[in-house]
Amino acid sequence: MARLNSSFARVVAAWVIGLHVILLPALYYAVGYVIKTSHEDLFVENARTFARVLADEFELGVAMESASRTEDLLDVAIVHGDGRYAELIEGVNSTRSKLNSPNVNVSRSTDLHFDEDGDDVYFVVLPIVHGTRNAELRLGFDEQPTLERVHMAQRHLLWLLGSYFGVAIFIAIVLSNRLSRPIQRLQDVSRAIASGEYSQPLEISTGIRELHDLAADLEAMRSELVGVNLRLQSQIREKEASEMRREELQKQLRQKQRLETVGTLAGGVAHEFNNVLVPIILFTDMALQDLPERSAARADLERVLGAARRAKDVVRKILTFSRELGDSKLTAIDMRAVIAEGLNLLKALGPPSIEIHTEVSDTIPAIRADATLALHMVVNLCTNAFQAMQGSNGVLTIGLRSAAGHKVEFWVQDTGHGMTVSTVERIFEPFFTTRSVGQGTGLGLSVVHGIVESFGGIIKVESEPGKGATFRVFFPAFSEHADGSVGLGE
Amino acid sequence: MHRVLIVDDELDVRDAVKRVLERAGYTVEAVESASEALESLRHTNVDVVITDIIMPKVNGVEAIHEIRASFPRVKIIAISGGGNFGITAYQPSAITTTAYLAAAERAGAHLILTKPFESSDLVRAVESVLGVGHA
Repeated sequence: MARLNSSFARVVAAWVIGLHVILLPALYYAVGYVIKTSHEDLFVENARTFARVLADEFELGVAMESASRTEDLLDVAIVHGDGRYAELIEGVNSTRSKLNSPNVNVSRSTDLHFDEDGDDVYFVVLPIVHGTRNAELRLGFDEQPTLERVHMAQRHLLWLLGSYFGVAIFIAIVLSNRLSRPIQRLQDVSRAIASGEYSQPLEISTGIRELHDLAADLEAMRSELVGVNLRLQSQIREKEASEMRREELQKQLRQKQRLETVGTLAGGVAHEFNNVLVPIILFTDMALQDLPERSAARADLERVLGAARRAKDVVRKILTFSRELGDSKLTAIDMRAVIAEGLNLLKALGPPSIEIHTEVSDTIPAIRADATLALHMVVNLCTNAFQAMQGSNGVLTIGLRSAAGHKVEFWVQDTGHGMTVSTVERIFEPFFTTRSVGQGTGLGLSVVHGIVESFGGIIKVESEPGKGATFRVFFPAFSEHADGSVGLGE
Repeated sequence: MHRVLIVDDELDVRDAVKRVLERAGYTVEAVESASEALESLRHTNVDVVITDIIMPKVNGVEAIHEIRASFPRVKIIAISGGGNFGITAYQPSAITTTAYLAAAERAGAHLILTKPFESSDLVRAVESVLGVGHA
């Protein structure tokens, strides 16, 4: 298995073929040799026995009495002994059978070996002693029939071994394929698993027990992997979700901290301002009383007093943002009534180019709020929407419905110019405004934020530049617990 | 002639209130702290005390307690600007000026006036605690 690119089937086939290429010729030669020598031995034995019998007949019989009798006996050797040549030599006289083959090479009459020199004749030479006469009997036997039998046997052997070789290779290939196909499949599957593809169950059919067990083990491993993977994936999803929740909470916390800082600052500034406004208002008031009715300074001082009163309103709004909500009392209120009242105001306030739609559900739980502040919130959000749609036709949608988690959702949607992410992040800061100077104080939405927080609600903004904006407010639905305390949902 | 004592740590507020009430015909004394106010109450016959709530050293609520205890006949008006004072705005339990004013009311202040106020508001407030109608 030195070459890594050899498949199992090829290796088995190569070994089978290699072994047979070496062993089969050796077997062929060994068996062929045995066949040939056994036939040769039989042939030589027969030839010699026949020659001995014929020699006995010459020595003991009357064949030597006359030339014709000698010739007859020699003919017997040709006819009955498979002879090709028969001759009796006595001194210089020689008698030959008339049936002798003409093409026998007599000079090779001393050939005492089977199948030699290619003349197909086997010679046997025997001395004859008949009384006082000495002669020599020369017999040539035909090797051809025996050689043909040998060759035929060898051809049969060759066919037999060849067929065996073919069958052996066929069986080797079939067997190795039966082995290697499931192994190949197992390999494919384990590669797929290694590369992360293990959703498909293993389907390996094999009659080989070891491979079946291996496939079963692999399938068990695969399904375990699937389980582990599913667990890991759900853990990762959980982790991601909790990470997102954490980030969202951190973002909310940062936002809250920033608003708290600004709120604290605003509250402190408001206090100082109020102290500054007291002498401005009172001294201006007194100066006005001292001035004659038609005086130039009087008009100026009235402007000062007007400005001081506007400053007082601004400070009140800052205080609303920083939760200085005065004597606001939270009671169970119906937001539908607040919206209905707000709509009456908005119809008077809103530009005629803007359509107002309402999507108010019929059954809405009460919320714990202050009705005046809630109206303030509705009007401020809608005023903000009007300003976002200024100078164009637009649709303002006011909605109210129950939301998941025992909450009431109130939303105001406009089709105005929308906001960038950085604007959305700062939208609730006091004095943050995208409008030009003089078109708004930048306090409206910070006041809304203060009001929503004071009701225990949260406010969210969805907006993209050019795609309008939606302000969603979620209030805890009002419910009274058995102990009389007021629950605020979640 | 009714005598009014104004207690505020801000000079401008003190002077403005003093001038407005003097114009309205009251005798007004202005001091900048609760201890000075108590000292003054011991020596003069004061009818109305107008006190700020947020002041250094002794705050207005404590001052109201003491005045109510020592001089029960004196009428008290508590004044304060809004806002909070370093206490986080989003803590519901935070003691804010509103809470201080409420505390002042509980301590016995007869009237609460939030800054800023108009001259007429101030005069009306003093008349109101003295039980005199507008002349």
